[in-house]
This record gives sequence, structure tokens and C-alpha cells, in this order.
Amino acid sequence: MEARPDPALAADLAYLAGAIERWAADLALAEEPARFVAALESAAPPDAS
Amino acid sequence: MTAFTVEGLIADIAARRVSSAEAVDACLARIERVDARLRAFITVDADGARHAAKERDAALAEGRAPGALHGVPLAWKDLCFLRGLPTSCGTRTPDYFVGDADCTAAARLIAAGAVTLGKLNMSELALGPFGDNAHHGHVQNPWRAGHCAGGSSSGSGAAVAAGLAVGALGTDTGGSIRLPAACCGIVGLKPTYGRVSRAGAMALSWSNDHVGPMTRTVRDAALLLHLMAGHDPGDATTSPRPAPDCLTGIERGVAGLRIGLPENYYFDGVDPEVAAAVRTAAERLGREGARVVELRVPDPQAMADVTGLVSRAESASIHARVVRERPHELQPAVRARLEVGFRVSAHDYLQALRLRARWAREFVQLVFGEVDVLLAPTIPEPAPSLAEVTGVPVAQVLAHMTRFSRLTRPFNGLGCPVLAVPCGLARHGLPLGLQIVGRPFDEPTVLRTGRAWERLVGGFPSPPEA
Repeated sequence: MEARPDPALAADLAYLAGAIERWAADLALAEEPARFVAALESAAPPDAS
Repeated sequence: MTAFTVEGLIADIAARRVSSAEAVDACLARIERVDARLRAFITVDADGARHAAKERDAALAEGRAPGALHGVPLAWKDLCFLRGLPTSCGTRTPDYFVGDADCTAAARLIAAGAVTLGKLNMSELALGPFGDNAHHGHVQNPWRAGHCAGGSSSGSGAAVAAGLAVGALGTDTGGSIRLPAACCGIVGLKPTYGRVSRAGAMALSWSNDHVGPMTRTVRDAALLLHLMAGHDPGDATTSPRPAPDCLTGIERGVAGLRIGLPENYYFDGVDPEVAAAVRTAAERLGREGARVVELRVPDPQAMADVTGLVSRAESASIHARVVRERPHELQPAVRARLEVGFRVSAHDYLQALRLRARWAREFVQLVFGEVDVLLAPTIPEPAPSLAEVTGVPVAQVLAHMTRFSRLTRPFNGLGCPVLAVPCGLARHGLPLGLQIVGRPFDEPTVLRTGRAWERLVGGFPSPPEA
């Protein structure tokens, strides 16, 4: 892909990559993307349809 | 004749006070009169709508059981695939998206008796919070010409506000239902992630896309949600939960409800009129018996950043072909937002998805352990002028886009249901907006709160010309 991203967006992305590395430093091994849906389902009110 | 609500029109048609054909003709007449200026529609299916309306009226005359939306004219954002109509997704290619099957959400409403008026204008590829579109015309704000309608479901917002359609479908990846609802002064519901099928709707970001109703009243949004929600084999992310009945308890009011106002982020840098309107709404709901508490919420900026990164990576993957083969066809800001997605590494993308899972769990535990719903502004400023978002350098537009969707985007990552309702008018007459956020799958409480607010203000006003 020969895309040339907008410089400001590319800078944002580089900054974000660093932030994600820091935020993810203490992620549990068991943390996986599919736990997002599980989180929603388990947080529903008890009487929710 | 065109100030219909879904519920009102259902009752009128059932009682034979109005026929579906008359309702459709009224909408088509209004489209004919104002849409050359408003640019809400990309495709108007006048013949198809009249034919369907006649069928609905004939069925009623023959005594056949009417559907729940029997004869009600609705319109669909032009990324909802329906056989027989083009689906441009706001691009200049009429058949940009061809689905395997009709859009489930629209098909369920049609199966309930709704009549298709046509397909609605939108930001190109749903990438933009302002609703400007160089290919199909910039959607005008029905409250004030020359101002944006909000995006990306801009045509949906403008059409419903101006009475061109009784209700509409929108989609929301970073705020694209709620931003136009706020800019146009109507109701928009982003349901819980997994509540409404995304099948048959062009994807922008599988992880963040939501399909939802845009209507003039809260009760109408509740009704449309009930009819379009529920598991769909065509979308593996849909929940197995049955469609919620949000109308039964919707008039219960807010007495005893715990309403949260965020201390951090949501009022930072927000237009003073917007902030005052939301705080006033909270106070008024408090006087109705709700307990209003201020609380700190887990860092929404981090969630917005992570959500944005996931959306960039996924949208670049989905729309790689047009970027690679026909980049000149895309508006500069749209192309710029897609191109940057190619630079997201697989590592960062996956870490972002893992962070999102953890943060969603933490947010729900911390916030909804304390309150039943959270209130926040929808837009940080009233709808900007189209000149501010089209006639300036791309870098400036991109920065404005980020600011304009900063209050809505975190909730796409969180997956919570959010109702956008009008919240008064700014000094110069443009609508202000309020978000009502609930715990996952608690659309009934979100809609009940919205309905209480709607009753308190005596109903939401229509734009002067509508």
C-alpha cells in the first residue's frame, strides 16, 4: 500500500501506539477481545430481555 | 399532514382517518418541495412507495391483520442494502455496496408494514461527523440553512426533522446517529452493541458499528427498536436476547432513578450554552424525583483513542479497494482518514481490542454501580456552518472532526446504549443535545429517562419551516 497519510494523523497514530503500549503493560494474559461481548452480556440488568 | 409521528400515524391508519397512500403522498410532496435545498435524499423511490402504500391500504380494506408499522413511510441511510435500490454509501458509485441479503434492520421494519420512501444522504462512507457530501450535496440543517446537519447519518437527521419521513435508520460508529440527531433536534438511539443486527448495512468498523432508529419522539424510537432488535444469524455479534419491550414502562418517570453527571471530560471545552442546557436538564429531572449525583468516570479520552484506532484499522481494511484503485474519487478528508488506517500495526490493533474489553468491564462496574443512567452533552457546540467544515484545509477539518465527536465516540467503544435527545436551542436558534447513557441492554431505562425529559419540556419542537 503506497498511501501517504496526513502528517497530523500519522503523528497522532504514532503517539497513540506509544500510549497503547503503556496502557497494555499490565493486561492479564486472559484478556482477549471477545471478553468485550461477555462484559456487555454479564452487565445487563437481571430482568433485561 | 407531514408532522406525523410513527405512533400517531399507526393509529390514524388503523382508524382509517388517513390512508398509507395519503401519508406517502404527503411525504413525497414535501420532499418535492424542499429536498432540492435540503439534500436529505440520495434516492427517492416514489413509484415503489406509492405501490407499497396501495398494497398496505388494500390489505387493510380486505380485513387482513395489519403489521405493527402498517403503511408508515420510513427511509433508510444509503448504506442499508435493499434489493432493487442503489446503495452508494455516500460515494459517487451508485452500487458501491451490494449485500448478500437485504439489511436486516430495514427488512424487519418493512416486514412489519413500513413503506420505503427511499435512501438517505450521508457522509461519504460514513466517515465524517458533519454531513457534508461533495457527490450528493451537503445536507443542510433544517433549522438554519448553511449549517451542517451532523453526520454521518445526515440525511436521516434532516429528513426526520423536516418531516420528509416519519422515521429513519441511521448507523453509529463514533456518533453518527447521535450527532445528526442533536444537530437536527430529533431523537436518535444507539442501541447496545449486539442488540440490533448490522447485517446488510455497509461496515465501517465491525467492532464499533451500531444500527439504530432516528425519530421525532422517544416513544417512536422505542417502538422501532422493538421491531428491529433481536438475534440475527446474519450477524454473529447479535445477542441471543429477545427484542426488548421498551414501551410498557416508558411512562413511569424518573422518581427514584439515580442520574449521574460526569465531573471529568464531558464538560471540558464545551460551549457554555451546551453545558448549561445539560446541567439544567439534570436539575429538572432531579425535581421529578431522580437523585442526581456527580461522579468521575474512567478516562473517556483513552477509550475514545482506542476506539478511534480500532475504527481506523478496520475501515482501512474494509475499504482498501477504493483507496487503492480509485483514491481520486474520495473526498480529501475521507481519503486521509482511510489512508492512516493502513499504518496501524496488528499488535496495536489487538492490544486496543484487549484494552477495550477490560475498560468496558471496569466502566460498567464503576459507573453503573453508582448510577442508573449517565447524562452528557452530545455535541460540544451547536451545528457549525458548512463553510467552517468544507472551505478550510484538510488538517483543520480533521481536527474539527475529532473535537466534534469527542463526546460520543467513547460510548461506541463501551457498547452501552445511548439515547440522544434535544435539549433546548442555542441563542441563534440551533438545537442543543443531551445523551442519556445506560448499562448494557438497559434500553428501557434509557428510553424511560428520555421520555420523562420529553414530557417535562412538553415535546420536542420542529424546525420553523417544518
